[in-house]
Amino acid sequence: MSVLVTGATGFLGQRLVRLLREDGVQVRCLVRPSSDLQSLRQSVGEVLWNGVDVVSTELMDSDRCRDAMMGCSIVYHVAAGLSGSTSTLFLSSVVPTRGLLRAASEAGVQRFVLVSSLGVYGTQAMQSGSILDERSPVDPHPHLRDPYTYSKLMQERAAWEVQQETGLPLVIVRPGVIIGPGRGVLSARVGLQLGPLMVRMGGTQHLPYIYVDNCAAAVRQAGLAEGVDGEVFNAIDDDLPTAKELLRMCRRAGHRVKSVWIPRPLIQPMAATYDWYHRWSRGQLPGVLTPYRTASIWKPLKYTNQKAKSQLGWQPSISFDEAFHRSLPSHGADA
Amino acid sequence: MPDTPSRIRVALLGCGQIADAHLQEIRKIDFAELVAVCDVHQDLADQAAARFEVPHAFTDMQRMLSATSPDVVHVTTPAHTHCSLATQLLESGVHVYVEKPFTVDVPEAERVLLVVKKTGKSLCLGHDQLFDPIWLRCRKLVDDGVIGEVSHVESVLGYPLSGQFGRQVTGDPNHWVRQLPGGLFQNTISHPLYRITEFLTDIQPRVDAHWYASGNATFPTEMVAHLRGKTVTGSLFFSTRIQHQRISRVYGPRGGLEVDHDGQTIRFIRQSTLPGAFGKLEIPWRHWREGARNLRQNLWRFLKSDIHYFAGMRTLFELYYRSILDGTPPPIAYEEMLRVTRLMDVMFRHCRVRTGAKRLAALSSASPRMADWKANCMAEVEEEESVS
Ligand SMILES: NC(=O)c1ccc[n+]([C@@H]2O[C@H](COP(=O)([O-])OP(=O)(O)OC[C@H]3O[C@@H](n4cnc5c(N)ncnc54)[C@H](OP(=O)(O)O)[C@@H]3O)[C@@H](O)[C@H]2O)c1
Repeated sequence: MSVLVTGATGFLGQRLVRLLREDGVQVRCLVRPSSDLQSLRQSVGEVLWNGVDVVSTELMDSDRCRDAMMGCSIVYHVAAGLSGSTSTLFLSSVVPTRGLLRAASEAGVQRFVLVSSLGVYGTQAMQSGSILDERSPVDPHPHLRDPYTYSKLMQERAAWEVQQETGLPLVIVRPGVIIGPGRGVLSARVGLQLGPLMVRMGGTQHLPYIYVDNCAAAVRQAGLAEGVDGEVFNAIDDDLPTAKELLRMCRRAGHRVKSVWIPRPLIQPMAATYDWYHRWSRGQLPGVLTPYRTASIWKPLKYTNQKAKSQLGWQPSISFDEAFHRSLPSHGADA
Repeated sequence: MPDTPSRIRVALLGCGQIADAHLQEIRKIDFAELVAVCDVHQDLADQAAARFEVPHAFTDMQRMLSATSPDVVHVTTPAHTHCSLATQLLESGVHVYVEKPFTVDVPEAERVLLVVKKTGKSLCLGHDQLFDPIWLRCRKLVDDGVIGEVSHVESVLGYPLSGQFGRQVTGDPNHWVRQLPGGLFQNTISHPLYRITEFLTDIQPRVDAHWYASGNATFPTEMVAHLRGKTVTGSLFFSTRIQHQRISRVYGPRGGLEVDHDGQTIRFIRQSTLPGAFGKLEIPWRHWREGARNLRQNLWRFLKSDIHYFAGMRTLFELYYRSILDGTPPPIAYEEMLRVTRLMDVMFRHCRVRTGAKRLAALSSASPRMADWKANCMAEVEEEESVS
């Protein structure tokens, strides 16, 4: 069997390629001309590298992408921009996704797996403490979110549109925050990182995290499992800690994180004040903190990975505790 | 009295990163109304419209024009499209604001200006940093004679390639930026250059320019240029090896002014008036007082919420829109647009000639456009080499 992977040189993509190769699958990596292949090659290892071939092209070049997809039964679309301006992110993520789905349909691909993000849910409108699962609605006002989440929301929307148009079997995986060696364990879900200081927002919210190898396994399964076309899967680990617990774990592991705490009742008024100032000053400070965004990201919710477990036959094989320790900066070389 | 319109309808073409700055600043102008945005990618046009509350998003320029009839269209597309888009827009009867750089070379610039003349529509070029508050303050100090007649201007631009964009330009020989005749510099040196030409007003100053690749780069990443006018000289230093910075120094017989555009500060460069060792106390004392003055001024501006990265853009837009409503010439003179474009041409030509035919031949020429330019440059260089 042959599959195609975009974003193969990235944090998640490298692990996915290695897993697929370990299963004996032939992997074609679609990389851009500027991509650095060295760490992918290292992560896959010289023995397994034999079954990897690399096609270098811009994702916007639909013809070349279609040619590359010929003979591949599954396309894993992992590539996406993670930072930059909204337009840059749209050019990396939204626009090429349309072309890739069309190309896949023309190339006769049997399943297209899109790696989206757990951030796409409309958590702003959800009750604190409620359960977030695949039936929860996605955010109805994407442009009010941060540029990255906006781009992921529109990337999914674009994918569904082309799916409707072409009938291409589509499966979407929505991973939580991906942690792993080199990425650390702190994220915007804990709070705002201001220089060396972590401003912890609330603390009772569970952190929807997933270890990078667990995530790669879920994505792989989304391509292989039967009878899941048109389905969406949240990918998160078991036994998720709260933000407060995570910082405590850090401290116990000998990593002091300098942090200050903003109690939950203060978060919304603070965001409202900041947003008011942003408007009043006509943008002297950037409009990054809005009540809409804060309500979306720091709400305490219950997460479940039941659907992925039962329908994809997936298990997070690395426990959160182990994942946590492997992700700490002091952990030795890339595991 | 004829009924002159008091509001201006604005549209924008090309919804990339700099478009955000345009849309944000246009929205602050109370007599301007944003009517439409347009991009070849519907997704890009849609995101701009959604975030900046623009009522219409298009992928076709002509449809945008006929559906929303704007008075002026901002062109914020890549440099190599400016000429053709600006001429089409002018011929369709709208005024045009073009982001820097004006065009990729003088023939293109002349073509656009010819159409300006023919259609009677006006055009403004994005030399917006001339209207930045700190530069206006520097201008005023110069005009007040604080340093005497200007004799030299120095312009520094630090442009590290370590970011996402830089990595792509570095890693991809066919990246569009590297296809421009002036490469990376075509897209970046307008701002530092027009800060020099504001004082160095000769039509054809002598130019001496050189570029080279730093470290492992396979294309020119560093540039130094020296411009020599009748009374004023200028030097431009562009480097990817220093931190991001925009610094200008304007010198006269009575001292110099150092402008930090990012810090929004001005510092005097002046000899000590005290003898010997006392001078070593006087200079830091002055620095300390200047620091306090800059801090006070910026604090006051902060309190008035008057610190905005693109403040110059907004001022230039306002002046331009007013000039359209009043039927007066646009704030940047057409001769100036042409002069800066010509200087860039001359500088790049100089650099290419110095690169030498051998190394030029080794450059990739993947696209037909690049191949064309390369052929031209080769001819130029070979001619030059055979003469010398
Ligand atoms: N990291 C997280 O916490 C997280 C959470 C949820 C979902 N996700 C999603 O998971 C996926 C992988 O994330 P990651 O953490 O592995 O990101 P990453 O390490 O930044 O990797 C991104 C990959 O995408 C490629 N890429 C980016 N822009 C591209 C473009 N315009 N054209 C072609 N390739 C492009 C990169 O190629 P180069 O090597 O050439 O740069 C790289 O291989 C993304 O879809 C992301 O949205 C991530």
